Amino acid sequence: MTGISDILGFNFVVIGPTLTLLATALILLFVTITISTPTFVKKYVTLFGILSTVFAVFLKFGLFLSDGVSSYFSEKILLDEFALVGNVLIVLVLLFTFNSFWKTSSQIDNKTTEALILILMSASGFLLMVDSENFIMLFIGLEIGSISLYALAGLNRGDQLSNEASLKYFLLGSLASCILIYGIALVYVSLSISGVYETSIAISFIGPENVPLTSLIGLILIIVGLLFKVAAAPFQAWAPDVYQGSPTGYVGYMASVAKVSSFIVLARLSAVSLNFIIDKFDLFFTAVIILSVLLGALFATNQLDLKRLIAYSGVIQSGFILSGISFGVYGISASIFYLATYIIQLIGVFTIFSIISGQLSSNFAISNLSGLFKENKFLTITFSIFMLGIAGLPLTSGFVSKFILITNLWSYEKYILVTVLMLSTVAGFYFYLKPIWVAAIEKTDNTIEQIKIQNSDKLLISTLAFLTIYLGLLPNTLVNITRWMVENYL
Amino acid sequence: MTGIILALLLVPLFSAFLIFSIPNTRKELFRPIGIVFSLITFTQSMYILFSDYSKSDFQILLKFEWIQVYGLEINLGISGMSTLLLLLSSLLVLLSLLSIGKEHSESKGFIGSILTLHFAINGVFISGDLISLFIFFEALLIPMYFLMGIWGGDNRRYATIKFILYTVFGSIFIFIGTVYTAVISYGVNARLAVDFETLSTLQISASQSKTLFLLFTFGFLIKVPIFPLHTWLPDAHVEAPTAGSILLAGILLKVGAYGILRVSIPFFTEGFLEYKNLVAVLSVIGIIYGAVVAIAQIDIKKLIAYSSISHMGYVMLGISAGEFLSIEGAIIQMINHGITAGALFMLVGFIYERRHTRNISSFGGVKITMPRYAAIFLFTSFASIGLPGLNGFVGEFMILMGSYNSYKVLTSIAAFGVVLAAIYMLWAYQRVFTGPLSNEENKNLQDLNLRETVSIFPLVLLMLFIGIFPSYIESFVIQEAGNLSETISLFRSTK
Repeated sequence: MTGISDILGFNFVVIGPTLTLLATALILLFVTITISTPTFVKKYVTLFGILSTVFAVFLKFGLFLSDGVSSYFSEKILLDEFALVGNVLIVLVLLFTFNSFWKTSSQIDNKTTEALILILMSASGFLLMVDSENFIMLFIGLEIGSISLYALAGLNRGDQLSNEASLKYFLLGSLASCILIYGIALVYVSLSISGVYETSIAISFIGPENVPLTSLIGLILIIVGLLFKVAAAPFQAWAPDVYQGSPTGYVGYMASVAKVSSFIVLARLSAVSLNFIIDKFDLFFTAVIILSVLLGALFATNQLDLKRLIAYSGVIQSGFILSGISFGVYGISASIFYLATYIIQLIGVFTIFSIISGQLSSNFAISNLSGLFKENKFLTITFSIFMLGIAGLPLTSGFVSKFILITNLWSYEKYILVTVLMLSTVAGFYFYLKPIWVAAIEKTDNTIEQIKIQNSDKLLISTLAFLTIYLGLLPNTLVNITRWMVENYL
Repeated sequence: MTGIILALLLVPLFSAFLIFSIPNTRKELFRPIGIVFSLITFTQSMYILFSDYSKSDFQILLKFEWIQVYGLEINLGISGMSTLLLLLSSLLVLLSLLSIGKEHSESKGFIGSILTLHFAINGVFISGDLISLFIFFEALLIPMYFLMGIWGGDNRRYATIKFILYTVFGSIFIFIGTVYTAVISYGVNARLAVDFETLSTLQISASQSKTLFLLFTFGFLIKVPIFPLHTWLPDAHVEAPTAGSILLAGILLKVGAYGILRVSIPFFTEGFLEYKNLVAVLSVIGIIYGAVVAIAQIDIKKLIAYSSISHMGYVMLGISAGEFLSIEGAIIQMINHGITAGALFMLVGFIYERRHTRNISSFGGVKITMPRYAAIFLFTSFASIGLPGLNGFVGEFMILMGSYNSYKVLTSIAAFGVVLAAIYMLWAYQRVFTGPLSNEENKNLQDLNLRETVSIFPLVLLMLFIGIFPSYIESFVIQEAGNLSETISLFRSTK
């Protein structure tokens, strides 16, 4: 006996992580508005919610192992390798950034609960986004996630930069959402479909050369909407201001979660209709990659604010990740590897910034670091590891990820792309080593204020630094996982 | 044997960690621990010297699977040339740890950086595939960055960034070359096999060989450095602390030439035959240019830095001639230059610690107050000039002899470099050591103490030993130089 719910594919395990996070947010809200709650209760409710989400992701794994790739909720929600890895990465981001966003939230007077709810909501939205098979579902997830992030950026009302960041992020982000939904509409108008798999089936059915122009434009607009979220040039303008203005404790979370979800969706789009994308959008992607890498390197070179520098470096990294996603199945797996290693370094860097300058601060000038070595050797060493990792020095994970990406690109004979990417790496050594110089080498008399570093932060940062080195020395496991993701599309 | 190979990497790394974990209150322990561990590495290299592998061509002894799905492996191995360079590097690390003054020897970071550098250097010389070669080649930069950045001279920021950017720019080419080779190898072996054994049997077309030769050699030539790409070297040497200069001149410059001999020539021979004339011309320009500029220097350290450009020009001339004798001479010259330049930088460091200046004009008549120092300096200068009976002569003579058949004019020009070397070294000696003690501050100079004498003495002994028994050191490279020249002549005859 199969009920109607089975036919429609109702299965709450599939959206389990999303539901768990939503439930946690609601419990927090309910508790806070009814009784006066001590802060530690909020902390443990949030932590418990995140840990339950980890459990829910495990359940999803079990479902995947028994049922394989399948869609649910009348083909709105998809459970495939990309969804699983996306879920795992987002939950890991939540876990890794919990410490710093909790501390930031607890410092914002009277808005602790709001901040936590916003974070949990945004994570649930992005989880929905990586799970979605349907474009409309994708849009809903993206909006739930993004709107929470806009609010998060401006949560520190007293800070002018924070307000500016929020407004800018909101205006430009909504524009991007408009573009995305317009693209979805165009695809629907021309092909009467609005799903990832449906699109690829339709394209192979009518033949790649007969695809109408409207749906081509639609697909490009969808991709542009997603590229906006990952701050690839020329859609990068918001990133430096938002990174700089937002409370430092939140930036690690904001930056990594948006990157993870958008890139996972892009990777899936690219994987299911790969040949089509390589054929038609080759030039578009090449242009975006070259622009991202050049613009990012150019602007990062003369930044005096470290958060802006990391933002522009993020533009370069987006170019790198995109270079894998748009060229070949192996490229996609290399990109996911790159993404995973990059967010580890990104979270590590921002955790260190928030420890040094305080959670709520907005500006973080390079000179803030001077005298760091005298004050705290642990932070200096780990900071250097993260920066060298982003720069791509051998013995760190950054090198392995760049190596497999470039190897893939070279096998597609993209020599110009390889040259541009490698040149940006040389430039990268200039601006990634500059903060290390200020922190570790430059002799200075004005020591920074005493840094109090908690044991939990120490544990977190050393874990992230260890992962950066470990994945540089023994990358085999993670490479195997990313390879497993794309095995079906070979 | 595999254990020894692995220990060459792990012992320096472990000792660096050990140094970093000692609290700063036990300052006096840093140097002894560093010396003990580099002595262990030195003993291991000696053990390799007396094993079967020290006279053979490159042999891979150890394989690890690195990234399974790509079929990437890390290979470690050893050859005659690597053995000599390993021995040289562990000796120089040991002696430079012994020679440094109190200011550096009581710094945890300094000793730790030198030991980390030792790890990376050993890694370069034992790596058996392009990936691990590249990894260790880049890993050299980090300890050098801190050594030059923290303990360097006044203008260290400029010099350090220049050094790093130059090297990274060069290594990008090596990186692309590695990727290109890996992709070619993937087409044949269905995996990214870039170990030296696979590469020696890999068939590549002439045009690919030319491109790859250019990519690799450009990267390595920056490190040598060859004439138009040399400008980082004088700055780096002047700003680096003494121990950094010793290791930079003694070993790091050899990494470039080693890479060309290990990778560029045997695997991309066709490219080598195409571009060897260009390299030869540039290296002869480097010989004369380095020597002429050295004459005009007023800073002793800069003078030796430019003399290094001149001497490494000989190495590159010998390599590009591609004859058995010239390649053999180039390898021996690499070792010899490591010994003499290391010794010269050490000597300059001694006097810099006493006077805190390296300006030639502020010295004069130092022989009167420091007779032992003057004698050793003169001896080392002779070795550097290439006086028969000392080590410098052996390498340069073999290179000039070997290259004459291929490049008659160029070799004749290069021979003038020896005369110029006599001018700049002896003139510098004259201005610093002879004449009256005109400067008041030089009147109270202390001669070398026991520690300093002990740290320079092994190098002096080696200069004499290699000068008198060149055949002993030659015996380690005969096989390798023979194989290289055979490969080259084979390709030349098929062309």
